Amino acid sequence: MTADDLTVIVTAGLVATACGLLGPFLVLRRQALMGDAVSHAVLPGIVATYLLLDTRAPLPVILGAGCFAVVCVLGIDALRATKLVAADAAIGLVFPALFALGVLGIQRYAAGVHLDLDSTIYGEIAFAPFRTWIFGPVEVAQSIVVNGLVALANLAFVYFVWKELKASSFDPEFSRTVRISPALLGRLLLGMVAVTAVTAFESVGAILVVTLLIVPAATAHLLTDRLVTLVGLTVAIGWICAGAGYGGALAADASIAGTMGLVAGVLFGGALFAAPKHGVLARARRRRVAQRTVAAPAPG
Amino acid sequence: MGSLIDLWPLNYTDSVVATGALLLGVAAGVLGTFAVLRGRSLVGDALAHAALPGVCVAFLVTGAKDPATLVAGAACAGIVGAFAMVGIERSTRIKPDTAIGVVLSVFFSLGIVLLTAIAAGDNANQAGLERYLFGQAAGLVEADVNLMAFLAAGSLGLVVAGFRPLKTTLFDPAYAGATGLPVRALELAMTGFLVVAVVIGLRTVGAILMVAMLVTPAVAARQFVARLALLLPLAGAVGAFVGVTGALLSSRAEVPTGPVIVLVGFTVVGLSILLAPGRGVAWRAGLLRRERRRALVDGVLLDLEIASHGGPPPTQAELALGSGRPERALRRGVRVLHARGWVKDEGGRLVLTAPGADAAHDLVARRDEWSAWLEHGWRLRLPDAREPDPRDVRGSLGSEAADRLAAFRAEAAA
Amino acid sequence: MNQPVPALEIKRLTASYSAKPVLWDVDATFPAGRMSAIVGPNGAGKSTLLKACLGLVPVDAGQVTIDGRPAKSALDRVAYVPQRDAVDWDFPITVGEVVEMGRYPSVGWLRRVRKEDRRIVAECLERVGMSAFAGRQIGALSGGQRQRVFIARALAQQAPLLLMDEPFAGVDARTEVALLELLGGLRDEGRSIVVVHHDLGTVRSFFDWALLLNVRTIAQGPVGETIVAEQLRRAYGATAAAKTSDDGLEELAWAR
Repeated sequence: MTADDLTVIVTAGLVATACGLLGPFLVLRRQALMGDAVSHAVLPGIVATYLLLDTRAPLPVILGAGCFAVVCVLGIDALRATKLVAADAAIGLVFPALFALGVLGIQRYAAGVHLDLDSTIYGEIAFAPFRTWIFGPVEVAQSIVVNGLVALANLAFVYFVWKELKASSFDPEFSRTVRISPALLGRLLLGMVAVTAVTAFESVGAILVVTLLIVPAATAHLLTDRLVTLVGLTVAIGWICAGAGYGGALAADASIAGTMGLVAGVLFGGALFAAPKHGVLARARRRRVAQRTVAAPAPG
Repeated sequence: MGSLIDLWPLNYTDSVVATGALLLGVAAGVLGTFAVLRGRSLVGDALAHAALPGVCVAFLVTGAKDPATLVAGAACAGIVGAFAMVGIERSTRIKPDTAIGVVLSVFFSLGIVLLTAIAAGDNANQAGLERYLFGQAAGLVEADVNLMAFLAAGSLGLVVAGFRPLKTTLFDPAYAGATGLPVRALELAMTGFLVVAVVIGLRTVGAILMVAMLVTPAVAARQFVARLALLLPLAGAVGAFVGVTGALLSSRAEVPTGPVIVLVGFTVVGLSILLAPGRGVAWRAGLLRRERRRALVDGVLLDLEIASHGGPPPTQAELALGSGRPERALRRGVRVLHARGWVKDEGGRLVLTAPGADAAHDLVARRDEWSAWLEHGWRLRLPDAREPDPRDVRGSLGSEAADRLAAFRAEAAA
Repeated sequence: MNQPVPALEIKRLTASYSAKPVLWDVDATFPAGRMSAIVGPNGAGKSTLLKACLGLVPVDAGQVTIDGRPAKSALDRVAYVPQRDAVDWDFPITVGEVVEMGRYPSVGWLRRVRKEDRRIVAECLERVGMSAFAGRQIGALSGGQRQRVFIARALAQQAPLLLMDEPFAGVDARTEVALLELLGGLRDEGRSIVVVHHDLGTVRSFFDWALLLNVRTIAQGPVGETIVAEQLRRAYGATAAAKTSDDGLEELAWAR
């Protein structure tokens, strides 16, 4: 394995870590698709930053994209608050509109220059080793630094508000009475998701962000009944996706982000059927045992 | 479809695109309404993403790019995706939104892998499959439009034919099942509608934006009508308007069609949510403001009436202390009472005028009637299912009922 | 005369959803160290009354005092057991962790749970007979056991006033009696308990004090004086109208 291979895998692994720390809470709060929405809604921010400031440096892009992520979350909240639009319909209205804005911006003003539409979706993780920063004697890929910082920020966030996240996700009504506002934590969580989505979007593309936010967390939810384990497992599954996905992509000469997503899907499928307690097979076995117990009267 | 295409006052290419957008708008509007009403708006998002690998597989298997083959592939993949979602949701602890997200991202990842694999192979024919990602209306030809028309007509025919059972199932599946309707099959049909709408639109707006085409017309139309029989055609009309407007605008400005259609749709939804009569945000904000003000003024009037029974007329500060209302709200209420001439200021003390006292008595009487209803209402036999308006029991129940309530109250007091 | 401060006092509380009043000029007093029930027909505003006391729903007018202090500044003296219908039982959380949530207000934001808190959690689990289940996932429990866990969480808050919203909904009769006896024990230790309750039969045998509510206060006082046929008919109206026997009470209990 060359240093470039390692750079790609570590970048993807760091994105998986950042997503895996937040994903479980999105899934448990039934907000999985907010991750999808936010990941798409940041596109116009990236385009606008490029058009206005003529730069693709990480910080301005993250700020610009972050603005649109906030617009997306607040827009969905506002539509829901009218009570005229169902929660899921609100998501389906807002993020396509923002994404459409970004697509128009790219195709009208930035086509073929430096932004290219495909790469926003599939990402261009294969290029991660080519954009580097030099710190004294060491040369480090920008994507590793940026995504590493985000992963650290997410770790700090989850560590410090762990009990608040837990309480407000499990029992929002109760947590309001002990002054842990579920609305505030929801906003903070989506804010972190937005930052994560923006940085990761730059290095791995939207679809892998969505996948890593949802699929590993869903897989882990089938495997454990403890929240700490759930988060740890999610991150671990993310790293497996990164490593195995990269290997698979090299072997098949296919999209790296796509293959990583596919590995996540295969792992989910495995857990779906074979998870020891909550898998399809285990459930079926329990049902069979129950039926047999009913059918056969106790001896004596 | 040739005749419809000839009707547009446009060049041939633009006419084809406009016809395609029209068909897409009608079909997605009508068929998407079922998903929105079932609270499954985002299932369409997953199905649109799930269609991508189907397109790729169809291309890989046949090596051809004719629309019918690719559409068939997309439809098959959509159906597999739909079953996967339902299966995950029914058989495990995974919640519906997560199931949608899993199917969406895994199928789409597969689609991207296949796309890149196809691109890596040297098939000269492969260019253009990316269109299914972002859509490209400009590439539509008459054959595409004919296929869209065929699919749209077929599925809309099914909606018309099965309208009544569909409506029953949509409103109350348990009741529909009890009356012997095949609920599972009907729900499957509604998901099938979504698949059809997705494959009609995939080529034009692309996998990522398709969900907007399904959701937008239904949400906009719902703000204006409340009956399914009106909602479906109106959603179709909104969809058609959005599609055609978007197509025309985009050809004028020479930008991609899909995003423009989506943005036009979003504008239409925004305006209808804001301005819809009797329901929109603007209308309800006005109502709420009037209600709050009325409650405040009534409350302050009563506070004043109670306070002036127990002694000299109160000052504003005393009134605030006694009623527990925030100072600002109280001042606003008093200002309204002043303007109506119901209260006057005598050396810093608030005194009810004669009309003010009348108004207060009237209010007390009305509240007593409501109290009487809460306490004795069960003894009344009303001619129909009418229910009292808390503010106007006499007006809403009729004088006869109000008089009997008063009698019950007097009897209880005795 | 030196009157004891009531645990919870509500004065002229009014709350409304749009035009229709849900609570209207409600006055209520719940004495300290007693077990009180809030009783009334569906839609009487019982749950709203509790939520209004905690500031969970907007209020048009009125004052709430807890231990003689304005409710807003005395929330640390209340533990609330909400209705359970919104909870996701698949949530990856253990019984011990749920009870630990009761310690969060005293631990404070951003800080970790201390050893002392864990001791209190263990004690509270012991108190409700759930020590053996501390490591179980919450969804693996029966309805009655889940309710015990939420009572334990409220105990862990170590608040002198316990507000409970329909704690016995979906719990079998045997468990309901066991839980009521448990609450009685807590009352005997000096806690004040206010329960939104619907079973008139057990109100008479287990509670000391009752508030009959139907949008307005119908009656309140010691159970023996409040839960009587005449008052119930005023509160429940039509439900009672169908029962015209001499003692409508027992039948009412079943009719609910």
